[in-house]
Amino acid sequence: MKKIKQNLPAFPILAYLTILVGIPLLLVVILSFLSRDSLGNIIFEFTLSNYKKMFDPVYLKVFLNSFTLAILTGIITLLIGYPVAYFTASLDRKMRSFVILLIMLPFWISSLLRTYGWSILLGKEGLINNILMFFNIIDKPLNMMYKFGTVLTGTAYMLVPFMILSIYNSVDKLDRSLLEASYDLGGGKWKTFFNITLPLTMPGIAQGYTLVFIPALGLYYISDLLGGGNTMFIGNLINNMATRGRNRPLASAFAIGMILLVVLVLFIYGRVTKNNKESLYQ
Amino acid sequence: MIEQLLSIRNINKFFGKSHILKDVTLDIRDGEFITLLGPSGCGKTTILRCIAGLESIDSGDILLYGESIKDLAPNKRNVNTVFQNYALFPHLNVYDNVAYGPRIKKSISEDEIKKRVTEMLELVQMSGFEKRMTHQLSGGQKQRIAIARALINKPDILLLDEPLGALDLKLRKYMQTELALLQKRTKTTFIYVTHDQEEALNMSDRIVVINEGVVQQVGTPNDVYNNSKNLFVADFIGDRNIKEVIVLEKKEDFYRVKLGSSVIDIKADRSMADRDKCDGTGSAILAIHMDKMKISYTQILNSLYGEITFVHYAGSQIRTDVDVDGEVITVIEYQNDYDNYNIGDKVYVSWEENGALLLPKEK
Repeated sequence: MKKIKQNLPAFPILAYLTILVGIPLLLVVILSFLSRDSLGNIIFEFTLSNYKKMFDPVYLKVFLNSFTLAILTGIITLLIGYPVAYFTASLDRKMRSFVILLIMLPFWISSLLRTYGWSILLGKEGLINNILMFFNIIDKPLNMMYKFGTVLTGTAYMLVPFMILSIYNSVDKLDRSLLEASYDLGGGKWKTFFNITLPLTMPGIAQGYTLVFIPALGLYYISDLLGGGNTMFIGNLINNMATRGRNRPLASAFAIGMILLVVLVLFIYGRVTKNNKESLYQ
Repeated sequence: MIEQLLSIRNINKFFGKSHILKDVTLDIRDGEFITLLGPSGCGKTTILRCIAGLESIDSGDILLYGESIKDLAPNKRNVNTVFQNYALFPHLNVYDNVAYGPRIKKSISEDEIKKRVTEMLELVQMSGFEKRMTHQLSGGQKQRIAIARALINKPDILLLDEPLGALDLKLRKYMQTELALLQKRTKTTFIYVTHDQEEALNMSDRIVVINEGVVQQVGTPNDVYNNSKNLFVADFIGDRNIKEVIVLEKKEDFYRVKLGSSVIDIKADRSMADRDKCDGTGSAILAIHMDKMKISYTQILNSLYGEITFVHYAGSQIRTDVDVDGEVITVIEYQNDYDNYNIGDKVYVSWEENGALLLPKEK
C-alpha cells in the first residue's frame, strides 16, 4: 500500500506512455505479422514473410545506407560538437548562457524550413555556387545537391545541437582542479586532454552519440528534400511502403527492424557508460 | 649563509580590479616546513598557486634555485601540489593515480614506476590499496594518496593547500603529526597553507602571517605567537584581550599605561620598543594572552581590579570574565587556587610579563 502511494506521481506518466507509445508500438508489432491484399487492406493472417523480406539484398543495402549515415552523422557532430561544447563550458556565466541560446536558436524555426534552407545554399543556382561563380573560382556550378553527402550534411546540421548540449553538460561537470592536478604533475595541455578530460567526458560523448545516432537512423524528410531519392534510407523506405506502397505490414516489420538496431546501440551505450558512471558521478 | 631555495620577489597579483597580492616578498629555505597563515580570502592560496604556476603574476619574480620560474608552465616546474579537495582522478585507481606523474613525464620505465609507487604507498601507509578506486577511500585515505601522488615526482617543494580542511577534528590532529613526520623523513620543503592557527603553530618551522594580500609577519611559531608584530597578528593568533590604552610615559624599560582608571606598567622590550611608532604618549593597543593571566583575591602589584561577571567551566580550563571599569577582560586558567569563583566577586587580574604586548594603534 505504502509503495503504491509512493509511486503515485508516476501513474500519469505511465498512462501517457501506455496510450501514446505502448499501444501504438503494440499495434505496429501486431501489424508486422499480418498480410495485405492487393488494394492494401489488412488481412488478419499470420505471416513471417514481412521479416523475411528484410534480408533481401536490396533492403539490406537500405539498412546499411541508414546505418552508415547514422554512424557518420555521429562522428561529424562529435568532431564539431566537442570543441564547441568545450569552449562554451570555459566561457564566463553570462557569455555561456548567450552561446547556449545561440545553439538552441535553430529549434525555434521549423526543421523543414531549415532543410529547405540548405537546398537554397547548395543548389545549382544556390548561394554558394553563385558566390564561387561571381569570384570566378569555378566556371560552372558545382553539383552539390541530391547526394549522400548532402543528406549527411543536412542530418549532421540538424542534430549537432544535441551532441553539443550532451558534451557541454559533462564538460561543465568536470572538476577543473583535476586538470590543474594533471598540469601540476607534469602533463601538458594535450596530454591532460587525452588522459583526463576525454575519459571523464566519455559519458557525455556516449550520450550525445546516442541522441544523434537514433534520429539519424530514422529521419526521412531530410533525405527526401536533400537526397532527392538517389540514396534510399530506412526512413524513406518505411514512409514509402506505408503511404504510396500501401503495405503497412511490411512498413511495420521494417520499423521493428529499425527499433532493434536502436536497441543494439542503446545496449552498447549502456556498456560504455556502466563502468564509468559509479566513479564519475559519485 | 642559509640556502634560499625559493625566493618570492615583490609579487603583485590582481583579479580584475581587486589587488590580491601586494608586494609579497618571501624567502623559503631548503628543507623547511613553512606555513602561510591567514583568514580566508587573504591571498595565501593565491601565493601557492603562483608558485605552482597555476596563476600568473602581474609583477615581481619567483626564483627557484636562483632562476626565475615565473614564465614556466606548471608542468615545467619541479614543484607539486596537494589540492584542497585532493583532486584525485576519479577514473583511475590508486596505483594509476600515484603513477600519473612519472607516466605522463615518461621519465622512468614502468618497472621503475612500480617500485616508486610501492615506495610511496608505503611512505603514506597505504600499501595494499593499489587496486581501489578513489571513491572507495575515506577522506584521510584520499589525503594520503594525494600526498603520495605529489611526492612521487620528487619535487623541490611540496605545496599543500589546506589539505586537512575536510577531515574531522581527531583525524586532523593525527594527520598534523603524520605530515610533520613525513616532512622530516622526506627532507622535502613543505609550503603549507591554512587558516587554522593551531595547525600552523603545531607543524611549522616558520609561519608567514598574511592579511589582505600583505605579509604581516614571518617568524617561528614561538615568535609569531608571543612577539606578534602588529595588531592583526596579535588578534589573529592566540586568544588575547585587546584593549585600547592611554600611554602615560615611556620609561627606560617599561611603558606606563592607563586602562580605564587603572595605571599599569608594560615591559618595554616586549612592546613597541623596536618598532616605535609611539612617542611615549597618546593611545596604543594592549594585547594580553588570556591564558597567561591569573585571578587573585589578594592584591598583586601591577594588576587590574574588577568584578567577575561570568564564569565558564570548559573541561580542563576555566574562562572567567572580569569587568574592569567597563572593559571586559577574559582570563583562561587551567587550574586555580580557589575552588570556584562567584559572579560578583571582586578580584585582581595579573599576567605573566611575557604575555603582554603593547602595539601601535593602526593595524
